[in-house]
Amino acid sequence: MAFLLRRVVFYLAAFVAAATINFFLPRLMPGDPIQKMFAGAGSDLSLENLNALKLTFGFIDAPIGEQYLAYLRSVFTGDLGRSVRFFPLPVTDLLGRALIWTVGLVGTATIIAFTIGTLLGVMAAWRRGTRFDTVISLASIFSSSVPAVVVSLITLFAFGYTLGWFPNGYAADPMLDPSWGWEYIASVLYHGTLPMLTMVIVLTGGFAVTMRNNMINLLGEDYIVMGRAKGLSDQGVMLWYAARNALLPTVSALAISLGAVLGGSLVTEVVFNYPGMGNTLYQAILARDYPVIQGALLIMTAAMLVANFVVDLSYVLLDPRLKRA
Amino acid sequence: MKLLAQLLHNRKALVGVAILATVILVAIFAPLLTEYSPTQRVGRPHQPPSADHLLGTTRLGYDVFTRLLYGARISLAVGFGAGLLITVIGTVLGIIAGYKGGVVDEVITFLTNMVLVIPNLPLLLVLAAFIGQASPLVIAVILGFTSWAWGVRVTRSETLSIRQRDFVKSAEMLGEPGWRIMAFEIFPNLISIVGINFIGSVLFAVITEATLEFLGLGDPNTVSWGIMLYNAQNASALSVGAWWDILTPCVALAVLGLGLALINFAIDEIANPRLRTGGMLARWTGLIRRGEGKL
Repeated sequence: MAFLLRRVVFYLAAFVAAATINFFLPRLMPGDPIQKMFAGAGSDLSLENLNALKLTFGFIDAPIGEQYLAYLRSVFTGDLGRSVRFFPLPVTDLLGRALIWTVGLVGTATIIAFTIGTLLGVMAAWRRGTRFDTVISLASIFSSSVPAVVVSLITLFAFGYTLGWFPNGYAADPMLDPSWGWEYIASVLYHGTLPMLTMVIVLTGGFAVTMRNNMINLLGEDYIVMGRAKGLSDQGVMLWYAARNALLPTVSALAISLGAVLGGSLVTEVVFNYPGMGNTLYQAILARDYPVIQGALLIMTAAMLVANFVVDLSYVLLDPRLKRA
Repeated sequence: MKLLAQLLHNRKALVGVAILATVILVAIFAPLLTEYSPTQRVGRPHQPPSADHLLGTTRLGYDVFTRLLYGARISLAVGFGAGLLITVIGTVLGIIAGYKGGVVDEVITFLTNMVLVIPNLPLLLVLAAFIGQASPLVIAVILGFTSWAWGVRVTRSETLSIRQRDFVKSAEMLGEPGWRIMAFEIFPNLISIVGINFIGSVLFAVITEATLEFLGLGDPNTVSWGIMLYNAQNASALSVGAWWDILTPCVALAVLGLGLALINFAIDEIANPRLRTGGMLARWTGLIRRGEGKL
């Protein structure tokens, strides 16, 4: 329990750090921070609304310390301000809607990639030195080194434009109304296929390489030899003795790579015009909608921290030693 | 030096080095390989590849092949510049944290873990958005100062185990100062970790620079692979069928990425002999494994 408590305290500190970056960035840039932050609204913003926004972001007539506390207060009360582009839509509403799409896309892609990658890694390590291993290793290296933007563009070019098998953008057919009906769900799946495929291609290689190398390091251990000496089947030793133990570092690698997953999904969403967090952040940057830009960083950080915490929990389950620590 | 000699005997490393060397040579000798200038209209817009324009032209009538050659300069410069910065920061902090221990270690580890959980690309986007059109130099500096955390983590844990070895203990007994032990006893034993960190950081910087520029946060007047992607995307190259415009920088980035990753994989294999397959070692492990039945 102490382990988990320590993690929670740490995650809170990390979240405050992200908020601190948000607080100081506009103040460190040359020029008037208030002018810069809310210029995107043009003349649409009434004085009253402007003052409310200024208060949310801590632009008050007070020493910098109090400004900082004012900003932290609005962040921790869930007030991330309002979008200046879609005024008066609150940033949390705008990003909350987008978050659902991203979590669906990233979550599914990560689970698929983790499963395929780990299995391929186990098999490659078991048959190390064979042609199967060489092919899987090279493919994994390639998949983990090619930029997500390149994979996205090539997938879009091949399956979207040239073959025309899948749509080139959006999360669902814009003619349909969102509902739980079969027609809408099918449209979501159809539109999600290419972004999903892209992310699986980008992610699988990394999981496979990590798993393969962990496995190979473990295959020399005494308990593997013992398992064979007991006369267990090849598959039994491979899965229950080697793979199970090799999974542990892979899970912690997963935690670290979650940030990269968010990054990869950002680019993929932009290329496929998918209405997730990444694309919303991108559109906000194009429109210089700073409240949304700052809110996106906070919500993405929070999402990352929650994901890390889930990984911590699974770590406790996988490694019983941590329960006592 | 031993590491270099071993690298030359590794097939993955050879292919990787060959790719990297080709890109470097192309970047250096770009003016000799093409007759055009990368920032001049030399043909009609969106011409498909031909003898005059090996990889066609962009919507503005620039020669794609020429921009590819000159763009390699920026990609490599940002990659190696930022990679060096990331590696230096990561290695120095990692060795200090691992060797000094105590409060110093706690502070560095805390900072490192914090940087690791704040998502990198969104943070970079926010920074770049406030800075405005970022030049390659600015991008390299931002990358250098935001991406060192992974290096600290691996260097620190490796330093922790080296610190316990006899030669470090004896240097301490002889009264060598701390900085000397860190620089001359510990650092040489970390060379493969530092190498992996460096090549990995170069790869990361090349990819991230291209991504930031593709997203429109770079300076649009730069000649780089990322800006090529950005311009091609803005010109709707895919929907008008000008595949050469957008696929050229894509393939270039993929090939350079593969080359760097192969080098990294090879260093990993050399530093960690169990990962090696092929050649002498395969035969040796084959002999050992014969008693184990089919593996």
